[in-house]
Amino acid sequence: MFARRFLLAVASALMVANSALPSRASAQSPMQDGSRTFVEKLADRAVATLTIKDITEQERARRFRALLTEAFDVPAIARFALGRYWREATEQQRAEYLRLFETMIVATYASRFGEYSGETIRLLDARIDDPKLVTVMSEVFKPGQAPARVDWRVMTDSGSYRVVDVVVEGISMSLTQRNDFAAVIQRTGGAVEGLLVALRDKTKQFE
Amino acid sequence: MISNQKSNRASGALAAVLGAVLVLAGCAGGETAGDDINDPLEVPNRLIFSVNDALDNLVMKPVAHVYKESLPDPVQTSVRSFLNYLRTPVIFANDLMQGEWGRAIETLQRFAQNSMVVGLWDLAAENGQHFHNEDFGQTLGVWGVGEMFYLVLPIFGPSNPRDGVGLLVDHFLDPLDLYLTNTHRTGLQLGRMALDGVDTRARFLKPLDEIEKTSLDYYATIRSLYRQKRADEISNGKPGGVKMVPGLTLDDDQPTTQTSENEE
Repeated sequence: MFARRFLLAVASALMVANSALPSRASAQSPMQDGSRTFVEKLADRAVATLTIKDITEQERARRFRALLTEAFDVPAIARFALGRYWREATEQQRAEYLRLFETMIVATYASRFGEYSGETIRLLDARIDDPKLVTVMSEVFKPGQAPARVDWRVMTDSGSYRVVDVVVEGISMSLTQRNDFAAVIQRTGGAVEGLLVALRDKTKQFE
Repeated sequence: MISNQKSNRASGALAAVLGAVLVLAGCAGGETAGDDINDPLEVPNRLIFSVNDALDNLVMKPVAHVYKESLPDPVQTSVRSFLNYLRTPVIFANDLMQGEWGRAIETLQRFAQNSMVVGLWDLAAENGQHFHNEDFGQTLGVWGVGEMFYLVLPIFGPSNPRDGVGLLVDHFLDPLDLYLTNTHRTGLQLGRMALDGVDTRARFLKPLDEIEKTSLDYYATIRSLYRQKRADEISNGKPGGVKMVPGLTLDDDQPTTQTSENEE
């Protein structure tokens, strides 16, 4: 009996401490607040414009592409995803790669917004990881499920904000993409052309 | 990192065997999530992966589909809840071995609450205490044992020597599993495993289909996801897992095989 009470007391203290710390510490810098507001607006806009059921998939893809190129630093993500092979690529290959990369991202993610089923997002604190990089933490709630942790990595530069990575439950979308691409290049002889062939094939139906 | 004393105390008789295995395999500390594919067995791994994938398409996926479509949602929720409930001793033991006292207490509290409904309903989650999983592979990770190398196990899928050893040790931390072994109730034992497998597969029907459809190299993508997921589980979601970020990581010209070692 005593043991149980003691355990409960310790546990509730821990929980209060855990939940109280971040919200009390919310006297945040303009960079953190700015990033947080930016992500909040981005999420609102995504729900408002992309999740509508009665638009065609082409229209959804068009809207997604507009939001993507505005709010995400797509060239930086693309370059990161190519890793060291960026250096080896010719100007022409780079240009084609950037174009195919964007098309692939649109093809991969746009349709998912059509399956939206009432998920809500709650923004938590923002953390400064680097003089230019803020991570805005959030929880996404799906009815009847435990909340999913979603981290938005935002690059800030004199008042402008761009998402460079979305990390879902510890899984980085950008890093996963980079690992995927590296495997393709290594398996097709170690040259960028192998990846371009695969990307052309993958995006054929969407261009 | 943890002292040898503690690991000996914690895993008892297994420590000697385990220690030998881990030392032989070379226990490099920390989890690497980056460019290092760390997959010396890639050729056999890919082979086992494709056999697993074929079996999945032939057996697991159809069964998981039927399970998902024919059982009402509340029943599926109950199944998951009950399987999680049965896993309590394993989770609790690993919470303790990782020194996660708060989470150990939470595991006990969840068990106490859910016992009122024999684990068939996750009351505790509704009161804000959500399920968390632990396994001995994670415990070894917390103790500083690296993943060593990527390994695809037949049937079980993505793994590594550390997590494979973890699977084995978790069997010995599970009183119900031990009881079923000792009383030769193999049917029940396999039944529980199968149900766990089917229920888990049913939950990943859509995400895995998506990943297979959108990735260029399915095997490499799963390898990346597994590694990142495990790193996150070992750190219990604490920040600092992903250090490579577009716009900051300027390693365009670094050889891929050495990046993560340089970062350590």
